[in-house]
Amino acid sequence: MIDFEHVSKEYKKGGPLALEDINFHVDEGEFVFLLGHSGAGKSTLLKLILREETPTEGKVTVLGKDVAHLRRHQVPYLRRQMGIIFQDFRLIPSMTVYENVAFAMHVTNVKRKEIADRVDYMLELVHLEDKASAYPDTLSGGEQQRVAVARALAHSPKLVIADEPTGNIDPELSLEMMELLERVSEMGITVLVVTHEHDLVRKFHQRVVTLKKGRIISDVPADKEAIRARPDHKDRALYDEPMELTLESEEKEAATV
Amino acid sequence: MMRPSTFWFLTRRGIRNLGKHWAMTVACIASLSVCMTLNTFASLAEVNVDSMVNYLGNQNETVVYLDPDCDDATAQQVGDTIAAMDGVTNVQYVSKQDVLDTYRGYMQDYSSLWDEFETDNPFKANYRVSIRDLSQMEAMSKKLQAIPGVYSVTAPVEMTNVFVQIQQSVTRVGRGIVLVLMIVSVITVGSTIRLSVFARRREIEIMKYVGATNGLVTLPFVVEGLAMGLISGALTAAVTVGAYSYMVQASDGLGGVWQMIMGQALVPVSAVWPTILTYSLAGGAIVGGLGSMFSIRKHLNV
Repeated sequence: MIDFEHVSKEYKKGGPLALEDINFHVDEGEFVFLLGHSGAGKSTLLKLILREETPTEGKVTVLGKDVAHLRRHQVPYLRRQMGIIFQDFRLIPSMTVYENVAFAMHVTNVKRKEIADRVDYMLELVHLEDKASAYPDTLSGGEQQRVAVARALAHSPKLVIADEPTGNIDPELSLEMMELLERVSEMGITVLVVTHEHDLVRKFHQRVVTLKKGRIISDVPADKEAIRARPDHKDRALYDEPMELTLESEEKEAATV
Repeated sequence: MMRPSTFWFLTRRGIRNLGKHWAMTVACIASLSVCMTLNTFASLAEVNVDSMVNYLGNQNETVVYLDPDCDDATAQQVGDTIAAMDGVTNVQYVSKQDVLDTYRGYMQDYSSLWDEFETDNPFKANYRVSIRDLSQMEAMSKKLQAIPGVYSVTAPVEMTNVFVQIQQSVTRVGRGIVLVLMIVSVITVGSTIRLSVFARRREIEIMKYVGATNGLVTLPFVVEGLAMGLISGALTAAVTVGAYSYMVQASDGLGGVWQMIMGQALVPVSAVWPTILTYSLAGGAIVGGLGSMFSIRKHLNV
């Protein structure tokens, strides 16, 4: 799903390395925390995955594509397979909640009827069905983050990237957010959560890759036993109903194949 | 290939953004309308001065005198030859008797004197010729002189040359003003649209992150630019046609020579409004649409 092979990145020739000899691999359906303090290189790593930047050295493969060899016009098609959740939500202020979620599907050329059904479902999933016609600036931080989650999941991505998703919401909501992402991962979607919140990360016992000064200093695998033993796991799930994260058109396509 | 529903979704967004970013919309429409109105007035001034100079120039006809010995058939042939010449817009035959009657009219008190000439008319029959391009008057005179049966040609070449020079200067100055105003317009409108796009660069960035192609990101902005351009074009047409109609009506009250010149030479409103409307709408749409498209380009590299 994501593969970094001896990746280094320097923004200015001869300048400091933002990333240095990074090697790591993320499997399909895996849940990974990318942990590190400010300046550790987390943002650069994300920029490489999103193909906002290309590596100075090494090879970055995302969803089977060598990002350095992608042409500019191919980048949107790579990003359409991803769902991105930002710390500052990055909702389009001139669009309603409904339109913000629908927009991600419009750009992927999904049929109108399917968009309507899907957006309704996603808003229900994040408990915002009554806020569909509200504008982002009228929502609380937690609500805005849930819209961002709905948008990230609406077009049935293969990879979800959450960049400090709990940075602007309270601790209770942070836990709920992580649980939701964990459930997304259980559906077979790869989830990469970038954070600096050690305490939150420790509670989940998932794989943790720690970055420091542009290098990976540890890569701790998930503790399956501990995850299963977690009292909150399954029982404390906020969204109890089964999640449906595959688009209708994709199901039909799969049935035809 | 973009789905029609996606196209309409983005088009609706572009139109709705006009209201959402109303302050920027008003700024863009105002700057575009002012620039286009100035341009249209400069063009109208040029067209009208051109028309006036043409009108005054055409009052000075070339007179082709016929040989006193030529018979009626030759006179007719000369008339046909002149009428068939390229660039001739009007030919009017004036017989010897017509000339005599004209002079008799000028000096009615001495009518008996003119009776002497009834039996021995000293005047020459002539053709009064109007030509399309006044700058060709001298060359045309030479051609007319060469027609068999022509005695002489009188053409106000020097006066016409003055008119032609005025006309050419006005055209040059007018086009220069229009060009400068167009450059100023493009810079002003471009800056306003760039400012509007810059204020929404975050929105563009988000669209790119969710996988929108450049075309999908650009479409609502181009629709917005086109709509602003069309509104500006309609405003420009309304203001210029309204003001011009008023000027044409006001010229009726000038009196004297000015009324004669302006009344005859001012291009009528009915002749200019379709052109003004077409060019204003097209100009607004082009500047608005292209302005948005070019302004957004540098924000697309996310």
